[in-house]
Amino acid sequence: MDWRQLWEICSAPDNVPIVGLIPLLAFYIYLAWKQAHANDILIEQLEADPAMAKTHHRKTWPFKPGWAKEVHVWPFLLRIEFLAAIIVTIILMVWSITLNAPLEEPANPNLTMNPAKAPWYFLGLQEMLVYFDPWIAGVVMPTMIIIGLMVIPYIDTNPLGSGYYTWKQRRFSIGTFLFGFIILWVAMIIIGTFIRGPGWQWFWPGQTWDHNRLIYEVNRDLPDIFGIASNLGKGIFGAIIVGGYYLLGGGLVYSLFRRRMGKDFQRMSLLQFSIMQFLLLTMVALPLKMALRLLWHIKYVWITPWFNI
Amino acid sequence: MPDKPIPEQDPITSKSYAAHYLIATVILIITLFWALWDEAWGQRPWKAFQEQFKTRYSAFLNTARAKSHDSEKDVQKDPEYAGLSAAVKKATEDSAAAAKAARNNLKDANDRLQAVQSVFIDRRAYVNALTYELETSESASAKASKQKEIDKYKSEEATVEFPDGSKKKFNFEELEKTYNAIRDERTKLSLDLGDVLKPVTEAQAKLDEYVTDHMVDLTPAQIDGLKRKVSDWDPTIVQINVAEANIVDRCESCHMGAREPLKITPAALTSKGEKKPDEYANAFVSHPEPELLKIHDPDKFGCSPCHQGNGRATTSIEKAHGNYEHWLWPLFPKENSQAGCQTCHSADMVLVSGDVQFQTINSGKEIFRRRGCNGCHRYEGYDREPEDLNSVGQQIKQIETQKKDNIKQTAYLMKQADAAESNDEANKLNGQAIDLRVANSKLDGRLQQLDFQSHSLMQDMKKIGPNLKDVRLKLNKNWIPVWLKKPTDFRPTTKMPNFRLTDHQIQAISAYIWQTGFTDPLPKRKPGNAAHGKELFESRGCLACHSIGEGDQMMGGTFAANLTRVGEKANYDYLVRWIHNARERTRPYCPYEKKDIGPEDYAKKNLPYQWDLAHSKCPNDGHELQVQNMTVMPSLRLSPEDAEDIATYLISQKKQEPSSYANASFMDDPSLKEEGKKWVRFYGCGGCHEISGMEDEGRIGTELTFEGSKPIERLDFALSTEPAQRGGKDSEPIKDKEDLARLPDGPAEKPWYDHKGFFEHKLAEPNVFDQGMAEYKSETERLRMPNVHLTKEEVLDLTTFLMGSQETSLPASYQYKPGDARHDIQEGWWVVVKYDCMACHQIIPGQSTILMRLPQYQDAQEQLPPKLLTEGARVDPEWLRKFLSNPSLNTTDTNRNGVRPYLKVRMPTFSFSDNELRKLVRFFQALSQQPLPYIPEQVPTLTAKETDMARSLFSSTAAPCLKCHATGDPAHDKIATAPNFLLAKERLKPDWVERWITDPQAVSPGTSMPSGLFKQQNNQWVFAGPTPPTFNGYDGDHRKLLTDYIFQLTPEEQRRVAASMPRAAAAVQRPTDRKRAAVESHHTAGGGSR
Repeated sequence: MDWRQLWEICSAPDNVPIVGLIPLLAFYIYLAWKQAHANDILIEQLEADPAMAKTHHRKTWPFKPGWAKEVHVWPFLLRIEFLAAIIVTIILMVWSITLNAPLEEPANPNLTMNPAKAPWYFLGLQEMLVYFDPWIAGVVMPTMIIIGLMVIPYIDTNPLGSGYYTWKQRRFSIGTFLFGFIILWVAMIIIGTFIRGPGWQWFWPGQTWDHNRLIYEVNRDLPDIFGIASNLGKGIFGAIIVGGYYLLGGGLVYSLFRRRMGKDFQRMSLLQFSIMQFLLLTMVALPLKMALRLLWHIKYVWITPWFNI
Repeated sequence: MPDKPIPEQDPITSKSYAAHYLIATVILIITLFWALWDEAWGQRPWKAFQEQFKTRYSAFLNTARAKSHDSEKDVQKDPEYAGLSAAVKKATEDSAAAAKAARNNLKDANDRLQAVQSVFIDRRAYVNALTYELETSESASAKASKQKEIDKYKSEEATVEFPDGSKKKFNFEELEKTYNAIRDERTKLSLDLGDVLKPVTEAQAKLDEYVTDHMVDLTPAQIDGLKRKVSDWDPTIVQINVAEANIVDRCESCHMGAREPLKITPAALTSKGEKKPDEYANAFVSHPEPELLKIHDPDKFGCSPCHQGNGRATTSIEKAHGNYEHWLWPLFPKENSQAGCQTCHSADMVLVSGDVQFQTINSGKEIFRRRGCNGCHRYEGYDREPEDLNSVGQQIKQIETQKKDNIKQTAYLMKQADAAESNDEANKLNGQAIDLRVANSKLDGRLQQLDFQSHSLMQDMKKIGPNLKDVRLKLNKNWIPVWLKKPTDFRPTTKMPNFRLTDHQIQAISAYIWQTGFTDPLPKRKPGNAAHGKELFESRGCLACHSIGEGDQMMGGTFAANLTRVGEKANYDYLVRWIHNARERTRPYCPYEKKDIGPEDYAKKNLPYQWDLAHSKCPNDGHELQVQNMTVMPSLRLSPEDAEDIATYLISQKKQEPSSYANASFMDDPSLKEEGKKWVRFYGCGGCHEISGMEDEGRIGTELTFEGSKPIERLDFALSTEPAQRGGKDSEPIKDKEDLARLPDGPAEKPWYDHKGFFEHKLAEPNVFDQGMAEYKSETERLRMPNVHLTKEEVLDLTTFLMGSQETSLPASYQYKPGDARHDIQEGWWVVVKYDCMACHQIIPGQSTILMRLPQYQDAQEQLPPKLLTEGARVDPEWLRKFLSNPSLNTTDTNRNGVRPYLKVRMPTFSFSDNELRKLVRFFQALSQQPLPYIPEQVPTLTAKETDMARSLFSSTAAPCLKCHATGDPAHDKIATAPNFLLAKERLKPDWVERWITDPQAVSPGTSMPSGLFKQQNNQWVFAGPTPPTFNGYDGDHRKLLTDYIFQLTPEEQRRVAASMPRAAAAVQRPTDRKRAAVESHHTAGGGSR
């Protein structure tokens, strides 16, 4: 176990946000989960009592006679937000005094750094470059992420869970969020920061980042495994596989969603459902592709002269 | 939560956040102050440095001022000072009345001017503003009305109140006139005052000059100036900004004392009560070489071009010194600071400033060549001959092609001219043809020059190791494998490095070398007299380059081989030939055909088998041949018998019998030859040795010209990368005790992942970066660099040299590549170092030579070779050229020194090429600031009377010149200690001779030539001894007279004078002379006149 290596990575001013992010993320998930759990119990009690269910609107505390039904944003919300703003200001100031910007040597185009890493918040995107070609990982996927985030209000037909923590009422949305943000985005940043060393090789935490390390790894394209040599053949083969994935996956999502999320399903139009289904499958495709690459050394599935997937 | 009681009041509306706000706000305010402090001081540590400097330097200046005041008092005690001071006083008194009147007048004029001026400038400003409006008005009517306004304003009267109370009214024009009149008056009055005070000012200036000249340190007034500057100092960034070189250096923001006129030591600026100088005191010291700063003005050069570091950074010491991961040019450590010289002075072989030699970098540069590093590694400037030869060859080819083209073109033009339609056109074409023929003739001239050039280059080309084509003639066969095993075991100080060869490789290599060696017969030599040989060996100067004896017994120079065990390896007949003339080759080599030329080649062309520098054309193809051994070993012009004696002595130098070496018959095994060739090539033996079949091998190592600026990632630390980055006790990869001792700073403890660490480790143990890997690599994959067995100091020097080998980002004008005489000095040093001239001659003031340190010269200083401190000013360059090409100055009787026949040590014949002769002559001339070409001064012919007078000086008992100077009489010349006067005319420059006979100690400290022969009288130099009556009434310069006489001396005249002098007495007297000279030289040196 190379503690010095680990310390070097953790203490680099570049990486401090990520080191902070991990416990904070854990804490907030725990906090949200705890409150959601309490609220779920509360909701169960309230829904058992129709009188309460009608009047009760604030789900965090049992309703008490005499409490206002609604409270004003000013001052009751803003005073807390302002306090938070002060605390964040303090944190930012202390941070900027104690940690200087990690400036490096004058750039030399003949000698690039190794490993060359993007700013921490882009490390997820950079990690994606390992699994897809630059056009897909750098252009298509980010665009889809942004579009996906934009369409959420339009495909989320669930009216519940607004203004309080809950799990039971929003299992699908929260699950998807946890998967997309925690598993995919944060985990990829962590891989990019802690796992990827010189030569963008995979180093387990605590393993020395040896610049002279040699590894043997041969990555192949899926069509090659099946002995498909012609470009046309590769294109058709890949299209079938990818199309098949969306087709079969779509069927699976359809049957699961209809069975498990019956209410939501009924509320959704065909357009809403198919957009949701496409985005969900695309998101799931990322970890699948990662697994193909990391475990079975498969580089691309679908090869065309214009893009590779 | 279910467990908690539900509060009565709604917590969202009832909860107070006052405490939260209070705490957060307090912390925010504290943070704000922290940020302010950080901005003002935290990020500006130089402010603390400047505060400290102010207090400490002021205290230091106070003590310095007290001292200076004392020494000023001493100066003031001098009567001359009293005189000057009285003069000041008197002048002041004399002019007091007049000065007072003049001052009063001036004051009055000033006051009146003030009064007028205040009114005038106000009105003038108004007029100017109106005029501007007039000029910019568009319509004629507007212009007219403005003009009116101006005129009206100008005619208005204004009142001026004069200091004496009177009031006067002026219109604008009058006002202007009055103003100018008073101004003129004031100028005149202030000039008057200057005239009145002139005697006082002049006397005061003389007094000040006297004080400044007679004080060693600064005067109290100067120190007061410094004190004022320090106390007025406001903390601010001190910056040198040189736009053309992109230098921004803020180093002096902390290193404030670097350029102060007082010498500041760390101890001087240590605050009271502290024992050791702290980081402040160390930062404030003066620059250790103020002379260097004079040449490299910091305002033009900044600091970082020499020292490196991050000149712009001011936030911390580490940042400013560039000692952090991402800065590519960290500050050179103190011990390597001379690396900075190399970044611009890579074209210089020797760096000298006055009498300060830059030892570390000079020796680094020299070791690089002396130890044959350039045999494997290319380095710009080193060993240029092969490359130059190559380019000359290409130029020759090009010109030959061009010539052929021209001939073709000529023929074509002539043909066209014949067929031309008009006469004009035919003439034009013919003219063109003629021009081409002229062009060809020009090209012929150029070709001839190139031929000369390549002849010179062939002669200049040297190899660091011996010629291995001669092994069969030269060596004890059985000794070779033993030597290859580990050369240092046989000869600890050898230049041959240890190659870590396996036994099999040794067998193969020795077999290849043996089987490719020449087998020509050598003439048999008869044994000589070893005792005489020893005497010659120790007195002829062999020890300047060679050494003998091992360990503490070692004596002599390290430039060439140690000869303690030469008897075990060498063949007597070959040794005689070598000593007699090391340059003598067994067979000439033709680089064009790439083969050694034998008698058969000459026979084919019916030519005699004769080849030397004058007959160096190949019989087969007419190209230049290599006719000399490529060694720097010169010929001492010994007689064959003397050479035999020395060889006999040397062959007796052995620790074991040559026959006791194990039989190495495998060397004749032809099956080993091919493999041997592979290893000889693999290890790059041809870089240092001449070996059959390896003449054109390239260098096998990496080029080192810019090694110091190679990115650290490209230096292969291999498995030591991590340990080197981390440091710590176990980060030292070198385990071998001997190799560990080569590290300048001992085993690594701190992180050493930098250029310095890499170079030091690589030089200490060249295969260190193979550690942990070598045993898994094949023989051809392992690191090849041999162990050069350097000492700690040599590793430091070479490391410094390599660290400075950088591709600098400075503009080309910063590189020291002068185009004038200084270029000759640069070029010359390469030759001087190449032939180790400084082992015998002192060229830099204070430089010690190898011979000076030998025991046999401790009591016989006059037997040392001459000092060449002012050689260029001393000798005629044309004579110097002749002398250097043949130091015996004689074509028949060569077994002697030409100028100083009395010296046992011999100026050898180096057989310099024209090229090197030119460089050396120009070097000495340039070193003494002599212009080239040299136009000899006309020496006036003396009249008979003058000759008589001069002769009487020449032979006077007070200065019997011929007592010490050689005369050509063999009996006298044996005891002579100075050159023959007859050489002077051709050899010396008259003005130098005058300087020399006035004060020889100043020209060549330690010379046995007496000083004080002349004294100055009425601006003339007259003889210090008694002069004969003929001198009565003579008012010429005696020194000049004697010089002119010497330049006209004829052999007959000299013989006559010599015959009239008692000679025997001189010889007896000599030792006392010598002692006196030594004492004098000591005084001269102590007095600091040079």
